[in-house]
Amino acid sequence: MSMNEFDDKTLRERIADNPQPALAWLAGALVLVALELGRLASGIVQVGETTRFALGGIASLPGLVEESVASSLGEIAGLVAFGLAALVLLGIAAILVKWLLIPWTLVDRLGIEASTGVKDIIERVIVTGLLVVAAALVVLTPVGGVLEMAVSAFTRGVEWVSSLPTITSRELISNEGYQLPDGSWEGTFLGLSPAVAWALRVAVVYAYALVWLAWLWRGYETFRAHYREADWTPRDDSINRFRNHYWGMFGLIVVIMFLVMALWAPAVSPATAEANLYQPYEHEFEYYGDDGVETISHGDANFDSRSQGGDINVGIMSYDDYDRFHPFGTNTDGKDLFTFLAYGAQVSLVIGLLATVLMAVIATALALITAYYKGVTDLVTIVASDSIISLPRFLLVLLLSVLFMQANHPVAEIYDGGLLLALIFAGTGWPLLWRSVRGPALQVSEQEWIDAAKSYGQSPAATMRKHMAPYIAGYMLIYASLSLGGVIIGVAALSFLGFGVQAPTPEWGRAVYEGQSLIPTSSWHIATLPGILVVLLVTGFNALGDGIRDAIDPQSEASDGAAGAAGGGG
Amino acid sequence: MSQNAMEANATETEPQVGSSQDDDVMVEVRDLRTYYEGEGLFGGTPVKAVDGVSFDIKRGETLGLVGESGCGKSTLGRTLIQLESATGGEIRFDGTDITTLSGADLKKWRRNAQMVFQDPDSSLNDRMTIGEIVREPLDVHDWKTPRERRQHVKELLDTVGLQREHYYRYPHQFSGGQRQRIGIARTLTLEPEFIVLDEPVSALDVSVQAEVINLLEDLQEEFGLTYLFIAHDLSVVRHICDRVAVMYLGNIMEIGPTEELFANPANPYTHSLLSAIPEPDPSAHKDRITLHGTPPSPRFPPDGCPFSTRCPARIRPPEYENLDNDLWVQLDTLREVLRERDRAEKSVTDRIRELLGKEPRFGTIEEIYGELFDEHDVPADVQEILDETADLARDEGEIAALDRLGEEFGSVCEGYDPDTGGENEDTDDPVAPEYYTVSPTGRRSFCHRHDPSAEYAEPDQVLDERH
Repeated sequence: MSMNEFDDKTLRERIADNPQPALAWLAGALVLVALELGRLASGIVQVGETTRFALGGIASLPGLVEESVASSLGEIAGLVAFGLAALVLLGIAAILVKWLLIPWTLVDRLGIEASTGVKDIIERVIVTGLLVVAAALVVLTPVGGVLEMAVSAFTRGVEWVSSLPTITSRELISNEGYQLPDGSWEGTFLGLSPAVAWALRVAVVYAYALVWLAWLWRGYETFRAHYREADWTPRDDSINRFRNHYWGMFGLIVVIMFLVMALWAPAVSPATAEANLYQPYEHEFEYYGDDGVETISHGDANFDSRSQGGDINVGIMSYDDYDRFHPFGTNTDGKDLFTFLAYGAQVSLVIGLLATVLMAVIATALALITAYYKGVTDLVTIVASDSIISLPRFLLVLLLSVLFMQANHPVAEIYDGGLLLALIFAGTGWPLLWRSVRGPALQVSEQEWIDAAKSYGQSPAATMRKHMAPYIAGYMLIYASLSLGGVIIGVAALSFLGFGVQAPTPEWGRAVYEGQSLIPTSSWHIATLPGILVVLLVTGFNALGDGIRDAIDPQSEASDGAAGAAGGGG
Repeated sequence: MSQNAMEANATETEPQVGSSQDDDVMVEVRDLRTYYEGEGLFGGTPVKAVDGVSFDIKRGETLGLVGESGCGKSTLGRTLIQLESATGGEIRFDGTDITTLSGADLKKWRRNAQMVFQDPDSSLNDRMTIGEIVREPLDVHDWKTPRERRQHVKELLDTVGLQREHYYRYPHQFSGGQRQRIGIARTLTLEPEFIVLDEPVSALDVSVQAEVINLLEDLQEEFGLTYLFIAHDLSVVRHICDRVAVMYLGNIMEIGPTEELFANPANPYTHSLLSAIPEPDPSAHKDRITLHGTPPSPRFPPDGCPFSTRCPARIRPPEYENLDNDLWVQLDTLREVLRERDRAEKSVTDRIRELLGKEPRFGTIEEIYGELFDEHDVPADVQEILDETADLARDEGEIAALDRLGEEFGSVCEGYDPDTGGENEDTDDPVAPEYYTVSPTGRRSFCHRHDPSAEYAEPDQVLDERH
């Protein structure tokens, strides 16, 4: 805190001077990581596979271009097109690589003299050239093979790690077993009943997540107490205000509950997704039947555990005929509803977050650009956004999703249409977000520090990033969290109508759709529980947005949801 | 003014001959114009914020720039450091015309010229620490290593009278005076030669003003800075400036050494501006020159001299030399009313009322006449012209009426050529005044009355007579 105030020290040096609190925190964090190392590793494997898939798709683009050009213009033109397409892709990659990996300018290192604009171009050309060489090495020489081997070795290593037991694994606290005639349980954790074992596992998951949160908070406090240069920042006040904002805290808790549910979906569901949702006839389990221990596939067992109203019902917190425990009952084809909802939370959150982040990025970029340059840019954006807003949004979303799905567009196949939905919602939703932050952005752009930045030659991009973006980020956070709820409802509504995410991928809206006719019967839970979850989640996000707004801008506390447009930038 | 006009060898584009050629001139401004385009997509009449301004700034001096709000002094300052781009003319900075610079050259040049802003609340980004704020120019220009930058910033904080440990504080933890010091530190980081001070103390308490002014003076001495000091507080200007330029409606009316200009103003506008300085001694008797009306819109500046619509020493046609002063005031008001009416856009309802023969929104000519002239003795010849004007206003509109009034009562000040007298109906060819050198120190004033070729009385004589 104040002890190092006069010194010029980087964070690393400050930690080196006083390593004890940092090391203590790090040790705790490592223990927490170790407890869930396996799950972490399997997450990394998943991300890696997705990346590999995406890269493969992009890498095949030049080939596709070559094919289509060659078929109409001849082979030489095809080759040229292949080269051009590859070059364009590498050029785009070069921008990313330069931005992410090369903090210094190659041009300056090489001592090339040119004006700034030319320098940027030369820089890009050099990086692209390096990438071309690298790509050629990988494709044409044994280097590619070596690389491939290294990657696969690494993957195997991570996969081995992912097989390590974790504290929240299904194997450790198993809820799958059968009841012997004497009432005792076989196969479950410590012989507990499946209901108790499941509850215990869920409790462990949430406890673990909460410990992590507490530890992260402790880390922040350690940083504040020992390593931060400033003894006070405006953020401290914001955090204090948020801690006393009960409605916001409620929202935060709800959102965290759902995030944990989505992240640990395999652990909190009573059955695995594969066995329950995707391939019920290929997974078997043991139960104690008339002839002792018997084996049956999930699919066959599901036939007897359907909930279709009347006597055919497995309600909430009950066992079916095969001693499987269903905390939220089963759905119409006998699958466990809680598993469906846990994995559905994943789908909803992924689509919702993806769409919202895309929307927020587009809206923020446009708000900064239109506020900085004003004039024609602003006008064009107004016309574009008004055109989009003037169309009824849900109809547009419906139309686009049906169009893409009927045409079997490749995008519609990724994540069973989830990516497509996210893109559609982002494409139709950014005008609303942009309009919400346009006012604050224009307000900030009139501040004298923008002029000051211009007067010492700060670039427009950096001015927007450093001097304008922080002032609209708060508003963006609020409006984004509000529109996230809208996207989740929208996706659920689409699935409810039978479009949207297709079976067997679980989606909350589809559960409501399937169960709606059974609401007056004994199987009311199929539609009601997912409906309540949607309401709760959306309320949670709205409450969180409210809380963040009030925390960031104390003046807005008294006013209602329109505060964003009226509040000052600072 | 006791001194007669010096020879009028100065022209508009080459001013200050004889005054600056032997000095070390840093900034040369020639016929600079900055227009703001109209609000609409397709332009419209631009606002002429700076409308043909020429002057020099010598190395190491402080040039004051005074004038009422909206006269274009801030725009001039902003144009000098290229925050606004000039519509025409040139700004030569050590010989380079900076209005032609762009890209990397402009960025490089920006190190030389910095600006201290008026509002210390708005000129510092509240989300950054003082250190980050003051260091940013260094980061932008990639100055040495980050460690040296931090060191430099801390030294600067020391220089402007703050503490080194303020590096990690946030702007709102400081008072207005301290914030202005931070702003000053930021302008100093790149070691500029030229600093535009845009009303640097007008947002501060009087006691703090003095501290900041003294700081600015000390810094000028220490670093050899050249200042353009924009202000409307004349006493501060008198204290800090070596020379002063007086601006009105986008034009410089008078420019010259501070003491001389304050003690012995030449231009009628300077006279009226200086007479507005409050006198601390309540018993002192002072003739305040009250200007009538409001400044004209910079979108439609008057023909001829920009000050002609309000000038207390305007040249009057010889045939009306004996007219009562108060009557002149009323005549001026009449012309302003007519100009306003001409410019005011008539709404659809106004047009319908007019078509139906009802009273228009602005009231009739008779009403205006009643209000203006009822309490005055109007001589017969003047009354005749007024009646004629009223007919014209009713039948042919305000422009015709204005032309008639201009022919009769206008003079060289409003662009009516004195040689053709009232016969010049074409106001498209106005005669703007020129800059006349009015003292041996090279002071220049923008007023027809200094024209040695015509026999006009000097402004101060006229003002003495009329007020």
